[in-house]
Amino acid sequence: MRRAGGRWRRAAGVRSLGLALVVVAMVATATAAATATATATATATATAAAAATGQRRSGGRGAGEGGGRIAVVAAENEYGDVVAAVGGRAVSVTSVLRNPSVDPHTYETSVRVAQQVAAAGLVVQNGLGYDSFLSRIEAASPSRSRQVIDVATLLHLPSSTRNPHLWYAPGTMPAVAAAVARALSHLDPGHAALFRHNVAAFDATLEPWRRAMATLRHRFAGAPVAATEPVADDLVAAAGLRMVTPWAFQADVMNGVDPSPQLVQALQDELTHHRVRALLYNVQVTDPLTTSLLALARRSHVPTVAVYETMPSPGFHYGSWMVAETHALEVAIANGRSTGHL
Amino acid sequence: MTVLAGLVAPGFLSSGPVRVALALGGIVSLVSAPVGVLTVVRRQSFAGHALGDIGATGGAGAFLLGVSALWGFLASSAIAVGAFHVAGSRERRSRDIATGIVLGAALGVSALFLYLDANSTSTTGATMTVLFGSLFVVPPGTVPLVAGLGAVALVAVLVCFRPLLLAAVHPDVAAARGVRVRRVELGYLVALAVAVALSAMTIGAVLSTALLVGPSGAALRVTRRPGSAVALAAALGVVATFAGVLLAYDSYAWPPAQHGWPASFFVVVLLFVADLAAGLLAGRGRRRSARRRAG
Repeated sequence: MRRAGGRWRRAAGVRSLGLALVVVAMVATATAAATATATATATATATAAAAATGQRRSGGRGAGEGGGRIAVVAAENEYGDVVAAVGGRAVSVTSVLRNPSVDPHTYETSVRVAQQVAAAGLVVQNGLGYDSFLSRIEAASPSRSRQVIDVATLLHLPSSTRNPHLWYAPGTMPAVAAAVARALSHLDPGHAALFRHNVAAFDATLEPWRRAMATLRHRFAGAPVAATEPVADDLVAAAGLRMVTPWAFQADVMNGVDPSPQLVQALQDELTHHRVRALLYNVQVTDPLTTSLLALARRSHVPTVAVYETMPSPGFHYGSWMVAETHALEVAIANGRSTGHL
Repeated sequence: MTVLAGLVAPGFLSSGPVRVALALGGIVSLVSAPVGVLTVVRRQSFAGHALGDIGATGGAGAFLLGVSALWGFLASSAIAVGAFHVAGSRERRSRDIATGIVLGAALGVSALFLYLDANSTSTTGATMTVLFGSLFVVPPGTVPLVAGLGAVALVAVLVCFRPLLLAAVHPDVAAARGVRVRRVELGYLVALAVAVALSAMTIGAVLSTALLVGPSGAALRVTRRPGSAVALAAALGVVATFAGVLLAYDSYAWPPAQHGWPASFFVVVLLFVADLAAGLLAGRGRRRSARRRAG
């Protein structure tokens, strides 16, 4: 009897030891991974802070106050950049998505963002379901004084518009800047003249981009290019280039599902048979498929060009970013040179 | 022949992604057959399923670290298998409870990892890939690695196959012959960890148990001879994965056009059908032998 009891206790002891080992191992991996992520995020935040010269970054409760400034929440930092250009010292802008290593499509929101939206006088969002987390927050904290600019609605795009990456279309930001000036003038009529002046100045900063686009179209109109995702499809179309990658492939990668083998094969053939002059890929989404396609492009000597879901920072404003992107595309087609990061 | 030509869409066999998928499916089926038969005979199907789910933790963690999901699946099943070995007791009930507790904790960590994947790294499709598999977008360079791992697992499981089978069916005879169960068990556990990781690569972590015990379960309903069961399970697995890949390829033309249905869906459904058919077959065989005894 006693011996049996001892054996049971020993067996139980071994079992608990095993369980404890598993738990310790899992906690250790979780902590290691979380630390790695935290470091990455902290670095990104630090660079973003360094980049935000002239625009006050409001944290937590600073949004509504700030010495009479209008608190503005922009879903993505490219819209935040335009708001800062138009609003100048009269606004305090917070961009929700500014970390270049986060895919906005799958972003999940936090309480802090909800507080910022609740206190904001103006919210600028892309729309088309791209940043629907903001619409949910707005619905949860109704406010009659808050202005909301939904860029897709502003551009009168139907909800069936399939490519939500609106900021690569040349016509988008001038319209956004004008709408931001209207909304800000409504909130702060005393600065209306300043906002109008700033819109003109912002439009002027887009002039180099228009010239770069004209050059690209003049030199390479009709040149075939491929893409892993439809991020810069509007720029490709505006420059007169020909996007040969099937839409279904681009949509599947964008939506995080696997493209069917026929489509994978189609893109592989575009690269290996040199049917395209450049491969555009989304730096903010790297999965096994896009990684292997980039490697295939390298082996096949097809140049690759990085495109972005949020504005790469530091060092860029919207206009200079688009100029850099257009130049990168031109250099790829003309000289076969890749651009991994702008 | 014409029927086959009608089934096989043009370009099927010359397609790079299809070839990788077929290679992976074939290797997984061959490894899973002996491992699965042992798992079913040893009544450890639940542990096998748990291993797959725990594999999700490793797969999600691999995306965080930016390495191949295969390494994540392997690492987490190896850790879990080691824990099972240490914690392993003869009583099935307490073993299942321990498995269930570890399983819950592992899935919780998976939830955290997948959340971090979506919010701090750039891996849009991680959840689908880890849980349900991405057979057609496995990088071609993975195949030699999978083949090597599969070979190691096959050798390990075949070395310990007979003694473990004996220990599972006739523990007393095994003890009398001096079989050291705990020691030979290690070979099986290594093979189990590899088989689960490869299944997770093929049809996803939560479905991996279907490839592990599906073909073996069906085979053991039809035949009781271990050798035949392994051969039949291997054949069933290969047919199910190949047919699944073929149907997934053909589904490109089905609605929604140009998107194709996931291969893991077809593989799992085919294995389910095979299991039902085996059950019917076995039932008829039992009734026939019962009639013979009565008459």
